[in-house]
Amino acid sequence: MTPLAHGIGGASDLPIPFTYAVVGAAWALTFSFAILAFAWREPRLDPHSPGRALPAGLRACCDSPAVRAVLGGLGVAVLALALAIGVFGDRAQARNPLPGMVYIFLWVGVMVASLLVGPVWKIVSPVRALHRLGCRMAGRDPARGLLPYPGGWGMRPAALGLFSFVWLELASPEPGSVTAVTAWLAGYVVIGLAGLIVFGTVWAERGDPLEVYSSLMARLSPLSRRESGELALRWPLNNLAGAPASAGMVAVTATLLGSTAFDSLSASAGWRDLTLDLAGNSTPSRTLFQTAGLLAVIGIVAAAFTLAARATGGVSGAERAMLPIRLAHSLVPVIAGYVVAHYLSFLVEKGQATLILLADPLGLGWSLPLLGNLEVHYVLSAHPAVLGSIKVAAVLAGHILGVTAAHDRCLRLLPPRHRLTGQLALMLVMVGYTFTGLYLLFDA
Amino acid sequence: MARWSGRGVSARSAVAVFALVALLGCGVTGCGSQTSEPAASGPVESTAADHSGQAVTVGIRLAGGSVSPVNARAEARVGEPIELVVHSDTEDELHVHADPEHTFPVRAGADQRFTFRVDVPGRVDVELHEANVTVTTIYVRP
Repeated sequence: MTPLAHGIGGASDLPIPFTYAVVGAAWALTFSFAILAFAWREPRLDPHSPGRALPAGLRACCDSPAVRAVLGGLGVAVLALALAIGVFGDRAQARNPLPGMVYIFLWVGVMVASLLVGPVWKIVSPVRALHRLGCRMAGRDPARGLLPYPGGWGMRPAALGLFSFVWLELASPEPGSVTAVTAWLAGYVVIGLAGLIVFGTVWAERGDPLEVYSSLMARLSPLSRRESGELALRWPLNNLAGAPASAGMVAVTATLLGSTAFDSLSASAGWRDLTLDLAGNSTPSRTLFQTAGLLAVIGIVAAAFTLAARATGGVSGAERAMLPIRLAHSLVPVIAGYVVAHYLSFLVEKGQATLILLADPLGLGWSLPLLGNLEVHYVLSAHPAVLGSIKVAAVLAGHILGVTAAHDRCLRLLPPRHRLTGQLALMLVMVGYTFTGLYLLFDA
Repeated sequence: MARWSGRGVSARSAVAVFALVALLGCGVTGCGSQTSEPAASGPVESTAADHSGQAVTVGIRLAGGSVSPVNARAEARVGEPIELVVHSDTEDELHVHADPEHTFPVRAGADQRFTFRVDVPGRVDVELHEANVTVTTIYVRP
């Protein structure tokens, strides 16, 4: 196994200086207890708050069927191009743009865009677009499938899909292999289309890993929809409070947070030594070891969160069992902060390198205009102090938003006598996540 | 584990060595504020390799199916020549995961030297492809 960083070659970020990590950790701790002790005492965050409606012209443009059709068509065209590159392009991963398209543009770019402007993948999703087209030709309603979506599944299918992706990226023998990435993408399309045909669009909302991830990130965007469907600007925390509290929410958030943490951990010298000691250097045993490590980190994140969310007095057993699911939305900002910290330079710099590879997508010696004469500007890596500050700021911002969201939801869910003590364990776990995240940014 | 006898120095002790050198350098020259000077003039490596002049040298030994060092750590500066000195009894391929990437063919033989520079600050892994190990990670600082 060649432990390429995220399946893409090249250098990775320098660690953040120790002082940055310590200052970040100190602020995280301070803010957590300040919020616990001094923030509001009655729930305030309201997913139904009206916000400020966008100008009518802009709304009409965003929602016009023509714009939607063009964006969906673009999604299908890029997917077709990606699959063509995967099947007919250069087999050498360093000369094939597909791994970069999937690991950088799709897995990081779409999610960061969702943070800024709302559920991007729902709009450009090629599986949704193909399904809509098929339904229109067959004269069917896309929302209606052949079978009702089993209520007990919740978001668990999406959690499985997300795990398959992070396993490919972080634990599989050849994460950068063009064939492996193509296979994942093809599998995603086939399963996505099958799910849509069988269950209707509810599958995309709950079972499609990329749409579930993108729509969760979109909860932190200031752009959102009112009940009436009008696009409005709203405080992101109000928006986040409306995140779905369905089964599988803990699995989805723990997979995203745990896998990002594992990505840092597996690059550290300590983990590499451990891998060598316990798994040797044969590929199957290493893959097994990496898989076990990835599962363990995700499991620890999920278990710590579940136990902490349940650690309160004054609620019935049934209510207690629902607490982790109802509080899991507070992990979304933590994930977003950590993803930005972890993948920003990857997105900006390796993203440019992928654009350059797209000048000759199929390895035929082309040099497409605009792309052919680009060169990579290492705007972030060249300034490690700036990059380090951005990373700590992102982790800290995610932590503060997460703790605030959890505090507000606890006020709503917990009986008055247990409002402070009931959220203490959860807050400690979130501080623990942030400390660990900062330590990993420093160590690896 | 015994096969990897070359892994004598871990990343942690590399940090300790680095701190020690900084401290000693300061004690000897009696410097006050220039504690960062040792890092600039004498890059510290966790490998046993010697380093001549300004070049950072990483010694790599492949013998009897084992590699030394593995998972080591080295420090370098942007633009500074980095030299890999390989003694090997087998064929392999060195991958340097910098931007751009470098690939060097390793033959059976002593004292094979491969030089490259890294122009962007970052962490650069040096791997042996066939042996399937990370030899060292070079921390290239501005």
